[in-house]
Amino acid sequence: MAYVLSTNIVSPLGFTTEDNINALYEGKSSLQSYVGLWHLPETFVASLFSDEQRAEVQRSGYTLFESLCIESAQRALTDTDFDISAPDVLLILSTTKANAPQGLGTTAYRHPGEAAQRIAKALGITTHPIVVCNACISGVNAQILAERMLRTSEYRYAIIIGADVQSDFIVSGFQSLKSVSTRPCRPFDIERNGLNLGECAATIILTTAQPCSWSIESGAIRNDAIHITNPSPQGEGCLQAINAALTPEQRVTLSCINVHGTATMYNDQMESKAMQRAGLGEIPAFGIKGYYGHTMGAAGVLESIITLQAVERGKIPATRGYAERGVSGKIHISGSEQTISGHSFLKVISGFGGCNAAVYYTKQDSDIRPGCNPHVPKFHTARRIKLSSQEGKTLTALYRETSANYPKYYKMDGLSKLAFIAAEMLGADFDAVALFNRTSSIASDLKHAQLIANKSEFYPSPSVFIYTLPNITTGEIAIRHAMHGETSFYILPTKDMQTMLQIITATLIDPSITRLLTGWVDYQDETHWEADMFLAEKE
Amino acid sequence: MEQLIDTLKSQIITTLNLEDMSIDDIDTDAPLFGEDGLGLDSIDILELIVLLERNYGIRLANPAEGKEVFKSIRTLAQYVEKNRKK
Repeated sequence: MAYVLSTNIVSPLGFTTEDNINALYEGKSSLQSYVGLWHLPETFVASLFSDEQRAEVQRSGYTLFESLCIESAQRALTDTDFDISAPDVLLILSTTKANAPQGLGTTAYRHPGEAAQRIAKALGITTHPIVVCNACISGVNAQILAERMLRTSEYRYAIIIGADVQSDFIVSGFQSLKSVSTRPCRPFDIERNGLNLGECAATIILTTAQPCSWSIESGAIRNDAIHITNPSPQGEGCLQAINAALTPEQRVTLSCINVHGTATMYNDQMESKAMQRAGLGEIPAFGIKGYYGHTMGAAGVLESIITLQAVERGKIPATRGYAERGVSGKIHISGSEQTISGHSFLKVISGFGGCNAAVYYTKQDSDIRPGCNPHVPKFHTARRIKLSSQEGKTLTALYRETSANYPKYYKMDGLSKLAFIAAEMLGADFDAVALFNRTSSIASDLKHAQLIANKSEFYPSPSVFIYTLPNITTGEIAIRHAMHGETSFYILPTKDMQTMLQIITATLIDPSITRLLTGWVDYQDETHWEADMFLAEKE
Repeated sequence: MEQLIDTLKSQIITTLNLEDMSIDDIDTDAPLFGEDGLGLDSIDILELIVLLERNYGIRLANPAEGKEVFKSIRTLAQYVEKNRKK
């Protein structure tokens, strides 16, 4: 359990939490149609900052992404009075692409961990930052990690910033996957035909040092383990995440559920099935992609804050874009504002790589409970494997040394191949995966950037773009081993064993995990890669 | 037609990284998707749509339209022959 000390949203609809929730009640949306923007051949609808808004947040010497993160965090910190430079303050950044593609391929490019370091420094934070890069679920993953780390380490404050900035890089990739709509999106509607992308930075500050009215109680992450982009048609992973996040007592307290609701055919159908199967089909539910689009790494943070504010006010905004039911599972969605009662909610989210997450929030009605009982899992390393390009072998040669006969191996990017081989060599069973690196998906990032560089020969490749999410690696391993437990991917500024061990310890707090496949896997190009992976066995 | 069929097979092998496969391993009439044939999936179909556009100037905006086109190599070759712009 961790208390919510403060929040902020910096979006095209406003730069404070208050402005944003009010905009939603007024029915305002920042979705707009863009024709020829960034020389993209296809029209698209997105939620983007205006030039004036960009100029307002832009800091000299920082990228727009870094500037947005600093802006949102500083605004969230305004009314707080703890010492941000203290050793008990942690920064967790949730993002899918961070600075990419700005500076990509040049020496000026800053990897996500380096961006996090600069943001931490600008804010006055002195500890090692963590980047959660787990596709669309990053924002909820970051909250779950923060809540766990506040229980299992010395940290007492966690500043969670979720942010992503849009670009031709991201939009063209989603267009190649045929998942972008040319109209404002219509979540759960019969006429939905795809998502809109959006940009935003949102911050939640959690603490265990001082009681506050709202708290995160619990959360869980589960994998579908069937496909790297398509969700389980029955919402299996989403259902498992919900069931693991909620106790039976919590389940009956829910005021509402905020769903992912991207307005793609597959996602919304899957979520409706998961809600029905979880027995939550009667609980008022809503999605806010019709106001902000899909803000990727910011989504989980933004949407949790909006839901908290909505529950506080006793009414959830309309699911903008929804008119006629277009899903077969039971889910209580409305195109109008819904009145709700109670003071608890569930936020669910799903992403590429087969990952799903759920987090449960509640408001303490009267007595503030005493501090949580620290329970720190212990583990030992069951097996460890080290692979490096310096040994002179190619990945394919190493693959042939394993006994795997897995044609899909050849379709993977270098990062996934490397992690796949290491997992094969470790051999033993595991029930969760948490991997770390420094350069994210840099090899696939460069490849995708190259494919879209020439606008007259413009053929972005869906199978290249999908690997610009490093967590696809964990999805590949989950599929290979039919492993439905937690999967997550973290980026650190350096191969920092101490931070890795803190995250591993925090991850093992999930009672379903007995053996975690974890460690370092970094792939820059054919001649620069390293895997140092192991099985962490809970004692 | 036979030449186009072989060309398509080799383009598919390269584009989809079907390692250890040659054009002789692909049955012209076998289904491209699902367990019985090549076992391609939804990302592969999107990649084939890019292939058609890049090499033959054919734009297939809606993947659902591709269902008939991508039934087998033969249906694909027939479609390309009829609709190709380059």
